[in-house]
Amino acid sequence: MEPKALDIADLEKRYPTGVEALRGVSLQIEPGKLFGLLGPNGAGKSTLIHCTTGLAQPTAGAIEVFGHDAIDDYGEARAAVGLAPQEPNLDWFLTVEETLDYHAGYFGVPKRERRERTAELLETFSLTEKRGERTRTLSGGMKRRLILARAMMHRPRLLILDEPTAGVDVELRLELWHYVQKINQEGTTILLTTHYLEEAEQLCDRIAFIAEGQIVAEGSSAEVAERFGVTSLEDAYLELVGRKELSRSHIEVAADEVAG
Amino acid sequence: MSARQIRLATLWRREVNRFMKIKKQTIGAPLLETFLYISVFGAALGSRVGDLHGIDYVVFVIPGLIMMAWSINAFANNSSSILQQKFQGAIQDQLSSPASPLELLLAFSLGGFARGMIVAVLTFIAASLLVDLPVDHLLVLVPSLFLVGFFFSQLGVLIGVRAEQFDDVAFAQTFILQPLIFLGGVFYSATLLPQPFETLTHFNPVYYMINLIRYGFVGFSEVSIALSLLALAFATVAIFAVNLRLFSRGYRLRA
Repeated sequence: MEPKALDIADLEKRYPTGVEALRGVSLQIEPGKLFGLLGPNGAGKSTLIHCTTGLAQPTAGAIEVFGHDAIDDYGEARAAVGLAPQEPNLDWFLTVEETLDYHAGYFGVPKRERRERTAELLETFSLTEKRGERTRTLSGGMKRRLILARAMMHRPRLLILDEPTAGVDVELRLELWHYVQKINQEGTTILLTTHYLEEAEQLCDRIAFIAEGQIVAEGSSAEVAERFGVTSLEDAYLELVGRKELSRSHIEVAADEVAG
Repeated sequence: MSARQIRLATLWRREVNRFMKIKKQTIGAPLLETFLYISVFGAALGSRVGDLHGIDYVVFVIPGLIMMAWSINAFANNSSSILQQKFQGAIQDQLSSPASPLELLLAFSLGGFARGMIVAVLTFIAASLLVDLPVDHLLVLVPSLFLVGFFFSQLGVLIGVRAEQFDDVAFAQTFILQPLIFLGGVFYSATLLPQPFETLTHFNPVYYMINLIRYGFVGFSEVSIALSLLALAFATVAIFAVNLRLFSRGYRLRA
């Protein structure tokens, strides 16, 4: 049986401050899927991603990436994961080209392959003209492109995108969507966190809602909506965060009543 | 090259690239500083001091200055590089790679080691052009310099990992490291000090390092060479072990 792209079992994370960010999360993502992880701020999305990529150490539980342990003997698991984090964590001292080259080097990619892959991704993300510029001089959109390109440099089998379209313009957002769909169709498994529900609805095969460190619903967007007794993912989300009065259907009814 | 070798080489290259991009600050400034020390303490004051233990004063001072150049630069490079990367979040790119704690630690350590070595070698070359600087005990000098460089590289890593703000690094360098080096006998012989300062100097670990380097160059030491070398080797291994433990635990690196 083919191992799961990501297999998380009973994951717990308690920070030294005492905050319980994850409380027994279990999650499985099949290879080749585009999986959306949704939830309000502070729900545990980023902590889950950090535990998977080695940026945080779980308190308890297990994580496997394509059958490889991601916590203790993590070499194979880390090599299979690409991370585009929410915050632009670029090295100010490096140029765009160096950023890509060094990242691939950290993953053991040989020089010739790094050079070819760098040229390919610079072109894909319209960064070729910026290749010699230091990262701190880039615009927000360019930084976002570079972060995604960097995550792809070592050809990860599981790509984790943490709020990839936060704060980007419509053009770039659509461009990123196309690229994400393209690489997903080529076989890359994708874990996406986003606050744009229509983005998740359009792109993702499966969706999970996380709240207060626990997975509270999982399935297709229709299944998740049904779980909350509503008809749209947006309404399900509003139910989750306890703000159903903001539902468009409520607002439309209220507007009709005022007009009537 | 294996994936591990490529990884280690890239991690190290990144560290060297960082300080070479700001070489006026990281290489030029310390070199000028050392040259000024040689000019002021060696040439200007040296003419009045004359000999110290039968050694021309400027020649007596230079080994300590070479050691100081290597140690301060190794320390400053690693502490500020790690803190900067933590501050920017850029360190996440390395922490989320397959690199082991040992590989990360070695790369961070050897970055500062390389910078210290470059400044020290340039200082040696510049000093050799100005005065006749002997190298009496190469077999003591080379391991001593390497151990001193590696020790202070490790100390820089330790402070960089522990630091939460730039003030923490500046504090360690200004209030701990520099007094230890300056009071360790770079510019004088401890035997010239009145009591209790002479005795107190013997509790300063840098005093033994300076004497090792001085012995390597001019063949004069106030301490036991074998014992000092052994203690330095032990201290270097100990601090390396502490750092490796911190990296393995992800102390102040991973959440």
